[in-house]
Amino acid sequence: MLSEVAVNEIKDITTRYPTKRSCVMPALYVIQKEYGYITEEGMREVARILGVRPVIVFEVSTFYTMYNKKPVGKYHVQVCTNIACSLLNGEHIVKVISRKLGIKVKETTTDKKFTLSTVECLGSCGTAPMMQVNDRYYENLSDDKVEEILNGLK
Amino acid sequence: MSTVKINGKEITVDDGTLILDAARMAGFEIPTMCYHARLSKLASCRVCLVEIVGQKKLQPSCVTPVMHNMEVLTESPVVKSARSSMIELLLANHPLDCPVCDKGGECELQDVTFKFGPRNSPFAEWKRRFNEEDYILSPVIVQNTNRCIQCKRCVRICAEVVGAGVLGSIGRGAETEETSFVKGYLDCDHCGNCIEVCPVGSLMSRPYRYKSRPWDLKGVDTVCTYCGTGCQLTVQARDGEVLRVISKPDSGINNETLCARGRFGYSFINSHERLVTPMVRVNGVLEPSTWDEAIKVIRQGLTGAIKIGEKIGGIASSRFTNEELYLFQKLMRVALKTNNIDSSSRWHTGTVRDYVDIMGLKNGGVSIYDALKADSLLIIGSGISDENPVTDYIIRRLSSYRKMNIIIVSPRGLRLDSSAAVSIRHRPGTEAEVIGEISKVIEKSKDVSKDKIASVTSADWGGTGSAAELIKTSNSVSIAVGNDLLRTPLQLSFLKTFVELLKGLGKDVRLFPVLDRANQRGAWDMGVHPGILPGYRHTDEEGLGCDGIIEAALKGEVGALYVAGEDIISDFPDGGAAKEALSKVKFLIVQDIFLTGTAKMANVVLPGASFVEKEGTFTNQEGRVQRLRRLYKPHGDVKADWEIFVLVGEAVGHSFHFGSVSEVFEEIREVAPMYREINFYGLNGDGAILQAAGSADLYGRLNKSTSTPPSPTLEKGGVFQKGAGNSGGGEDPEYPFTLITGNHLYHSGRLSLKADTLRDILSEAIVEISEEDANDLRINEGDKVRVKGKRYEAALTAKINKGSMRGVVFIPENFDDVHVNMFFTKGEGYPKVRVIHPHPIPPPYRGREKGRG
Repeated sequence: MLSEVAVNEIKDITTRYPTKRSCVMPALYVIQKEYGYITEEGMREVARILGVRPVIVFEVSTFYTMYNKKPVGKYHVQVCTNIACSLLNGEHIVKVISRKLGIKVKETTTDKKFTLSTVECLGSCGTAPMMQVNDRYYENLSDDKVEEILNGLK
Repeated sequence: MSTVKINGKEITVDDGTLILDAARMAGFEIPTMCYHARLSKLASCRVCLVEIVGQKKLQPSCVTPVMHNMEVLTESPVVKSARSSMIELLLANHPLDCPVCDKGGECELQDVTFKFGPRNSPFAEWKRRFNEEDYILSPVIVQNTNRCIQCKRCVRICAEVVGAGVLGSIGRGAETEETSFVKGYLDCDHCGNCIEVCPVGSLMSRPYRYKSRPWDLKGVDTVCTYCGTGCQLTVQARDGEVLRVISKPDSGINNETLCARGRFGYSFINSHERLVTPMVRVNGVLEPSTWDEAIKVIRQGLTGAIKIGEKIGGIASSRFTNEELYLFQKLMRVALKTNNIDSSSRWHTGTVRDYVDIMGLKNGGVSIYDALKADSLLIIGSGISDENPVTDYIIRRLSSYRKMNIIIVSPRGLRLDSSAAVSIRHRPGTEAEVIGEISKVIEKSKDVSKDKIASVTSADWGGTGSAAELIKTSNSVSIAVGNDLLRTPLQLSFLKTFVELLKGLGKDVRLFPVLDRANQRGAWDMGVHPGILPGYRHTDEEGLGCDGIIEAALKGEVGALYVAGEDIISDFPDGGAAKEALSKVKFLIVQDIFLTGTAKMANVVLPGASFVEKEGTFTNQEGRVQRLRRLYKPHGDVKADWEIFVLVGEAVGHSFHFGSVSEVFEEIREVAPMYREINFYGLNGDGAILQAAGSADLYGRLNKSTSTPPSPTLEKGGVFQKGAGNSGGGEDPEYPFTLITGNHLYHSGRLSLKADTLRDILSEAIVEISEEDANDLRINEGDKVRVKGKRYEAALTAKINKGSMRGVVFIPENFDDVHVNMFFTKGEGYPKVRVIHPHPIPPPYRGREKGRG
């Protein structure tokens, strides 16, 4: 059962969007915050609260990469591998993180602390290469900087 | 008009015609995959690309309208090459497991590839694979998305036509998969229309799976027998066993749309419980017998009753063909000299007469497509989404194309509410008051309320104002009147007054019957009613209807009763009274295809044929006459019902001289003027609509009666009390709910219960309750609750209907485990009941620990 805070948050969202269907995306973020990823129950709750068909929520949640389909670690490390970042060694950054954490892309460390993902452009090409950890951007990355950032995440 | 040149051929078409349609009119074939004539346009498959001279890029012909002087090429080298490439791309990920695919032989992808596609393919990569095992989406739908070509026809038909909207596009890009929520079980109509429109073998029918190849099936085009919509369907069998039902895209009013009952309700035909020989009661026990013996016993029984001057009655199902009903009526009236004949055990005979009158059934039929051209459509007295699903689908589809104000007056929430401009909820039996209120507002132009769904209680008549406003601003109004109004002795004069009011305002008004039995209209046309002769002439002396017959039987006055295709014990409102009445009938003949509760009480049981085993015609609710065609001869010692009526008629000394169904139809044409223009052998897929015909004096008596308001409906021997249908009066705290009944979406009458596939979908009765009441009583969907009436009590699974009226519960009439008619008491109208939750769960604890972000 979704917490009352989350339910109210979704209800509040409905006051700011023109149609029920347009609330699906922000509502799914509430679910992701609540459960850490998009759960089946969460999708049903969104559908119920918004009064849309569950399959519509499922469609949206599977279309966008920002919604986690599986549980993720405490820190979700999302490295951009789109064109600008790739040209400036973004792929190398992925390898560095992979080696440091001992996991491949789309995997989670056994202590459930880190999940590594590659993502498409996050709109920060001017500061490439970059990555996003949970809701925070880390820019102008280098091997050392990545090392330092990951060490700082407890 | 635009003139276009297609492949050098000039053709003039309406402005806005799509290139695809224009090319087809000009005789050129353009292949399509995602295109579907009756769905919104997607243009995603690009198989229909054509070249427009002067334009650099090829254009999809399924969404591009023609323009004047346009020159289109559909067979140029660049089109051919592009088309072939598009098909090649579809095939690149298609598994090509045709040998084990159910669609093999009737697959659109196969056909298009064969005709237009590449002859080889350079693709050597792995094909994408979604699933290793098929998804079981429902008791009737199975899916293998590896075969899916992402045409979205299933998604569109589910949302746009069926209104269920349970299929969607999951994922993105090349990894898009059309399937259900979390690829799980569907909460839907189980209508299988997604299977029908799937061009490949992605969505498949579970009952038909691996049963046969399409070319091994032998089929006939016939009419569905489950409701009054009158869908055309094709029943296909192999080795004398019906294996599936499909529907053709270009035939009938339904255009390949069917409901769960029509598509999957055929398995009763193959049931092992079917009666295969006549049965005769010997020393109190029903024993298998022969036709000769059975007919001999019938002759003795009937002539015995005639001799001592006892009452004889006949009740025939409105699922018989016109020919059979005509013969039955003739048997009763001519051979047995009685007007005690009726076609339903559920309805109030007097109200039926008013209905027939007010709806003007004698004036011929109205096509549903004409009726739906109106600016406003008022639906009253029908749980249309459940009772007549395909009528609901047609209304939903048409209302998405063009503006039509749909106004629904119903106690229950209906699927069609989502397409409606106004839905008015009211207490069962208060239809007259709702319409009265709408009339008042139309007359007075009062302020209107803006509620979309309004509950009508004695104090609050919201919604009627909006409805009145919509009707007032419409030039044409169609009124769909369902047969729920026939269940109580409601005064239908309110409808007549309402129609007169609208006509007085210069509106074009069309009345459109919505009937739950396939040939109910035919039954009335054929005179299976105590007061109506074939062709709607009145009888000189009105006989007893079903309620009258039961009443007389209770007094021990009925010497012989012939029940054909009806299960009175299960259907008559007050099952206890029906049972007692039948036990007092001295000689009971039952003709059915199963040994029903009524049949078990009979002196003689005659085995009839199912709809695929006989010829004949049906007249649907529109007044459209369509042909039933025989697929194979009945198994066992079963006879077509018309043959049985001929045999019985001859046994009692009346010579019928009918050698075939068409000969009976010829006589119907002579007797019933509406049928005069109809040619039995000329009836094709679309059937023929009844015409208004006949001279004034033929209808003289009826005209006279329509010119005055219908008389009060309480008749001699009537079971119901006048006005008892209005249950909006005093509240009984002990029994706060009003019980209504009708057909469930997955079942119709009692017959569908014998269809295994439909039982797989739903096998036990449910009780439908409004969301508010469920919350009050702490009832969750799926809970077992007890419904207690004054004389009967039942345990049922609760189903919550969000849009339903508070204080109303609905129990379908179709199930054996709950005899809903036992809740009814003769003369009481809608029964009052109480809903008890034996184990209410306390309100959920909401303070669960918050998940981590």
